[in-house]
Amino acid sequence: MKEKILLNILHEVQDKNGYLSEKSLKEISKKYQIPISRLYGIVTFHTMLRTKKQGKHILEICGSPSCLLNDARTIEKFLEKTLKIEIGETTKDKRFSLYKTSCIGCCDCAPAMLVDGVPYTKLTIQRVKEILEELR
Amino acid sequence: MQILRETNLEALSLAKRLGRKKTLEALKKSGLVGRGGASFPTAKKWEMALSVKSNERFLICNADEGEPGTFKDKFLIKNNPETLIEGILIAAYVLEVKRCFIYLRAEYENLRKELEQMIEKVLKKSGMNISIEIVRGAGAYICGEGTAIIQSIMGYRGQPMSKPPHPTIEGLWKKPTVLNNVTTLTCVPQALLYDDWNPNYRLFSISGDVKHPGVYEWELGVKMSTILETVKPKEKIKAMSFGCFGGIMPVREKEIVSPSLICKEGGCHHGAYSIIFIGEKNNIVDINLSMAKFYTYESCGKCTPCREGTIQLVELLKKIRSGNGTNKDLKLLKELAEHIQETSLCGLGQSCGNHILTGLKNFKKDYKSFRRKK
Repeated sequence: MKEKILLNILHEVQDKNGYLSEKSLKEISKKYQIPISRLYGIVTFHTMLRTKKQGKHILEICGSPSCLLNDARTIEKFLEKTLKIEIGETTKDKRFSLYKTSCIGCCDCAPAMLVDGVPYTKLTIQRVKEILEELR
Repeated sequence: MQILRETNLEALSLAKRLGRKKTLEALKKSGLVGRGGASFPTAKKWEMALSVKSNERFLICNADEGEPGTFKDKFLIKNNPETLIEGILIAAYVLEVKRCFIYLRAEYENLRKELEQMIEKVLKKSGMNISIEIVRGAGAYICGEGTAIIQSIMGYRGQPMSKPPHPTIEGLWKKPTVLNNVTTLTCVPQALLYDDWNPNYRLFSISGDVKHPGVYEWELGVKMSTILETVKPKEKIKAMSFGCFGGIMPVREKEIVSPSLICKEGGCHHGAYSIIFIGEKNNIVDINLSMAKFYTYESCGKCTPCREGTIQLVELLKKIRSGNGTNKDLKLLKELAEHIQETSLCGLGQSCGNHILTGLKNFKKDYKSFRRKK
């Protein structure tokens, strides 16, 4: 019998619910006979699996050297100031969660960020303003 | 570009006509080596897996390209996925594999749907009865490492394991498992089908302070001046960094880009030829600090020297950056970076200090510019 790929199972649940709650982890644990401690260990090992409720939109700004050389810090500061949160936090209205991520492979169109998993590239303050406006 | 040549399943038909043994010989003759960074001969890796008697073998296509400054695999998944999948099918045929995996990093999630459709299309066209499953990574750089990727697919934390056994001998579910990079597998059909296929072409991911960043294909031995003329620096270029792990060295226009220059003279490692060009206005200590932070973030936590040492490297660099560093701190920085390299299990730990060691070696002035005069 083919072994199910655990990462894919976790992603599917996260896609549906937005995050991996204690309840859903317990269900996965029971269904696939995987100790909850192991599951929790795996989930917290990965930055893109989340155990807490997230904002409606997840913004992940790239912190790679290529993005930094192309002024990613300005974008990062602008996002923090505009959303009134720091990296790792969610806005009070639960619309945005802001993260910094390792290289997202958009070095040729830096600076870049992922918005709900989709890359937005060649960011400028103006472009970020427009993106936030679209998402509001 | 040679890498964008399509093979339309003709290479797979050729492989089937030749049979497993002769296909392997042809691949060996082509001179194809791994494009993930280690340059291991592809046919030799396949032979190693075949040398183990087993009722089952696995193939993993490594699309977990996490090295900062690297985006060639993404370029291929977007621009030549059919040839990549044909490469997987040829490998599956030669290795008698029934279950293949593509470990796709979470950052490339937006490419997944189209890749799945392409897999379905090519599989149908080929008539082969094998499965190619996409494993969705979840943002762990370490999972690009050979043993960590196996742990991750098997449903454990993606932490590296001691070798031996090498995954080629004992990998997924203790069966022989071949792990090839996206670029390597894309080369396989081309290397088999085209007589004029050149094994010395490499994809370069170019980024940083240049006007035309992107993926380029050059033959090894290309002049640095050719690269710079093509990518057009925004300002005078001070340094080039080979991703984060490869190290950092000065750029001299007259030189040719060859492994011996990069490794012997620069003390760097070319890896998968990802070059981040760093302009004159930057201080290398700042660059090293951002890279050091990357390693604290991505250390898997298994080996103490890497888990704790990477944090201390950041603290030391911050101290130096603030102008409070002394000669003793510089010495400690070097010693700690060397110590982590010597005592860590996997490639991440063994290379995480490289950017600092080469930074200290090649850009002393930058470090001295912050040093407290005492």
